[in-house]
Parts: sequence; C-alpha cells; structure tokens
Amino acid sequence: MGNQKYTASELMAIMTAKEFRDWEVAFVGIGIPLVAGITAKRFHAPNLNIVYESGCIGPQKYRVDFNVGDSSAADGALCLTSEWRVFSDMQCGYYDVGVLGAAQVDKYGNLNTTAIFGSQDYQSPKVRLPGSGGGNDIGSNIGRVVVMLRLEPLRFVEKVDYLTTPGFLDGAPDARKRAGLLGSGPAAVVTDKALFRFDASTSEMYLDTIYPGVDVQDIKSLVGWELKISPDLKVASEPTDEELAAVRASDPANLIMGGVAARKRLSGLDEYIEVTIKNSGK
Amino acid sequence: MNGNNNANKQMTLKDAIGKYVKDDCSITFGGFIGRDCVAAVHEIIRQGIKNLTVIDDSKTDMMDLLVGAGAVKRWEGAYLGYGAIGLAPNIRRSVEKGIPAKFELEDWSNAGISMRYLAGSLNIPFMATKSMLGTDILKYNQRIKVINDPYAGEPVALVPAAHPDVAVIHVQRADAMGNAQVWGFTGNDENKARAAKHTIITCEEIVATDEIRRQGNMTAIPFYCVDAVVQVPYGCHPQSCYGYYAYDVLFCGDYHEAAKDREQFLSWLDRYVFESEDHAAYCAKVGWSRLQNLMTMERHFNRIPG
Repeated sequence: MGNQKYTASELMAIMTAKEFRDWEVAFVGIGIPLVAGITAKRFHAPNLNIVYESGCIGPQKYRVDFNVGDSSAADGALCLTSEWRVFSDMQCGYYDVGVLGAAQVDKYGNLNTTAIFGSQDYQSPKVRLPGSGGGNDIGSNIGRVVVMLRLEPLRFVEKVDYLTTPGFLDGAPDARKRAGLLGSGPAAVVTDKALFRFDASTSEMYLDTIYPGVDVQDIKSLVGWELKISPDLKVASEPTDEELAAVRASDPANLIMGGVAARKRLSGLDEYIEVTIKNSGK
Repeated sequence: MNGNNNANKQMTLKDAIGKYVKDDCSITFGGFIGRDCVAAVHEIIRQGIKNLTVIDDSKTDMMDLLVGAGAVKRWEGAYLGYGAIGLAPNIRRSVEKGIPAKFELEDWSNAGISMRYLAGSLNIPFMATKSMLGTDILKYNQRIKVINDPYAGEPVALVPAAHPDVAVIHVQRADAMGNAQVWGFTGNDENKARAAKHTIITCEEIVATDEIRRQGNMTAIPFYCVDAVVQVPYGCHPQSCYGYYAYDVLFCGDYHEAAKDREQFLSWLDRYVFESEDHAAYCAKVGWSRLQNLMTMERHFNRIPG
C-alpha cells in the first residue's frame, strides 16, 4: 500500500461503513467506529439510526464525537434517555448491529480491551487498557457485531490475555448459548489491511477480503494462528472519490484518525470550530 | 420527613465538598464524560481528600486527575480511558508502575454498573443482567454471581446494588431546593442520586422554583434526593455540557500530552488546580473568551428552549 490517495484508516472506516445497512439501528462504540457510522449516514445509509450508550438514540450526525457522551452525541436526537435504558433496549434485541474496537482478538472473535499482560498479570499488566466500557455489553447482546482493529503484531493472538468481550468463546457450537449470551456473535473483523469473517460451522475467523496491494503472506505472518483463507478470497475495490469525501467530511479536522499530528496542524480552537461548523450541514 | 426537605441548599463548592466528601468515602459522579463534574473533582483534589472508592461507569480526565493526584484507593467501574484521544496516562502509570500509588481495580461492564445503580435506586439488593457472562470479567470479579434463572433455567449474572456515600452530579439548571433539570442524555444520573447516601448537585444556572415547575418533565432528580446545590458555570470544562458549551478537544489533547510525563502532569495540577482558588480562577486561566467560543459552538447545534 504505497503511494495511494487514501490512508489505511480511511479505507478501514469505509469498509466498516459498508457493514451498516439503511434503516438499521446501530450501537456504536468510540473511535473510528464513530467515523464509520457517520460516513454510512452521509453515504449509503441515510436512515441509519445510531445509538450511544450515554442515552442518545438516533442523533443527526452534524459533527464527530470524541466520546460517546459528548454533547454532539445528542445533536438532533430522536430520543434522549438514560444509559441503563439503552442497555436494556439492547438486551431486548432492538439493535441490529454493534461496532466496537479492541486491542486484541483471538480466532473465535473474543476481544480484549482490559489489559495486555506481557510477562506480568491482571493486577500489574504491561499495558492497562480502558476496560470494557460498553464493549462487553455489545458483544454479549447484539445480533451482529463488527469489530475494528489494526492488523499489527501481537493483536491477532491464539488466546487473548483477558477476555473482555465474548466472541464465540471456546468455539464450541453452543458455547454462547451455554454461557447464557443472547446475541449471535461477531460477524466481521475490519482491519487496515483486510477484512475477516467467521466460519458458520467452526466459528473460526478466516480471511475474507484483502485490500488492494496487500499480500496474503503478509497477513498470515501477522496472525497468531494457522489462518484459513476463503476459497473465493475477494479483493476490496479502491475507495471511490465520493466515499473518501464522505469519510473526510465525517471527521473534517481529521482529529479521530489523524491524532496528535492533526491536532498540531490546527492553528487553534477557532479554526477547529470553523471547520466543524462548515462541514456540519447545519 | 427527610432532613433534605428544605427551601435552600445552596452553598459554595468548597463547603459542599468539605461537608460531604470525606477521606475513605465512596463516591460516584454524574454525566457520561459529557456533563462530567470536573470542577468538583478539582475541588476534591484541592482539599487533599484521599482514599476514595469510586463506583462509576465510564470516566476520562476526571479519574485520570484523581488517580494522578493520589486520591483514589479503589475503582469499581467499566471504562478508564481518554476516548478517541487515547489511553489515560495517569491510570496507566498507576496500574503499571505504582506511580504515585497503586489502586484496587474491579472491572465491570457499563451495563453491569448501570444495573448496580438501578438496584441501588430501587432499594433492592441486586439486579440480574445478561452482560459479562462467559468472560474474564467474572474470573477476576467474584462479586458477580452467575445463577440459573429460577424460572426458566438459563444462566444470568447478578450484580450487587451500589450505595456510594456521595453522588456529585452536574446539571444544566436547578433551583435552591435541589430540583435538578437535565437536557441531553441522562446517563445513570437519576439512579445515582437515589442510590447515594448524599447528593451534591452542581449546575450551570440556579433558577426560581416557578421556572422548574414550567417544565417538570425535565427534573431528573427531585429535591428530596439532594443535600447541596452549587452553581458552577462551565463546571464541566474541558468536557461538554449539552446546550451550554461544546467539548474542548484541543485543551484535552494538550492535557493528554502533558500528563504522559509525571513532572509535567504535576505542573499542570499546580497551575490549574492548586494555584486556582476556585473554578472561576480556573476559567480565567483557560480564558473566558475561549469558553464563550465553546458556548457559541454548542448553541449552533443545541439550544435549550427558554
């Protein structure tokens, strides 16, 4: 992936956006998932309704959120209610699709967002991560779950250090039902290099789609188990200009995907406010 | 009759925190990152209150500040990060390296904590949930009990009611009796206020009780749950307050960069907390015109009907 006109993060957001369908209700977690949700609303799924765990149902997406509880999460919402209420609605099965990030994933789609142990343990880990937040609740209860994380060394592992969010647990056909879980488990794992899905009979993750210019061997070398490849492996199409425009307008100051460097490029708060309002459509 | 049934609970933030937030107490904060009680957290740090047990859903800079200041003994909660900006630097330093001190961690999910506050607000001992089953949350947190539903037989997780000593909740407006009105999402605020032994309301504006009566639907927390009412304009900065001011992402970014280094974090704490007499002094350092611009931005998107 050399001299192309889009970044890996942008393609990742676009590939995730395609997992949303129009008129669905989507429960969306923090970070690039939010950008993907906004992109979908601005592109192929204008009637997608997003739900945030702070208690916001069906907001207009005028501006990007940095937290699911920013005031922006409530802009023009259909319903503003409580956190316990939206989690209860999730448990009732009202939400079609959930999207969340993770630091580690295993071959059955179990996620870790709690701690990377390294040579140590839960109480004194190498890296302490935020914890479940609403991630576990999404993975436990929603029918179709899309996971987003970068395909980097030590992220796709045989066994996660800490199982925060349930995928297919030990992979046994009835593992989720035996544990008492309601949702049917992960449907896709979207990364910056490829998209993975799960085998219906074995619950094991396999390589479904590679991005333009990516080599299958490179993917295999970054996955910590013997990765199975789809017999009809697909290659993602290059993002169109319209898709790129939608993803860029979703995060106009590029602060979610561009991080510290993008923040430093801004002259100050006034420029940020100006860019946000200009791209808001309101 | 409840001792809270009186006409005027207004006091200063310094007095409210001093009266209700004691060393070794348990505490929760309202809001959900937006509408966070940042001013109250600064005052807790300013008063040197220690050994807090925080029972909460998701927190960003508030918990990072409290942990960095060495005020936290124990966390029972779901999320300690910094949203899209990254991981929380003081949380990491404490858990990974014990700087300035370790704190006890008990992990839950957001729905799990929400159910603990629902149980607390209902005054029943526990609530059942379908979250957290089959995961390591159960392995490391033995207080979550998995039983088979006595009616249908399916596994279900039980979580104990939360009853913190104090809840601090920031709202858009309240009257002097403590009727607290909230616009935007409400998080777990209505339940936290009912579950806690004492509740401090901080607010952007104090209004007349007749004004509260005009929109009684917006009162998430009625007076009988409330012990103290404190007016703290811009009390959530750098977090957002729906209808009042937008999230200050650049200020948060700068804090996040500074907090990665312990010495720089301590300088930040000196400048914005210890050397600021109160929240107005903090606001002056942030800059009143900056705060005004955040208000202009928020009101471009959200206006509270007058």
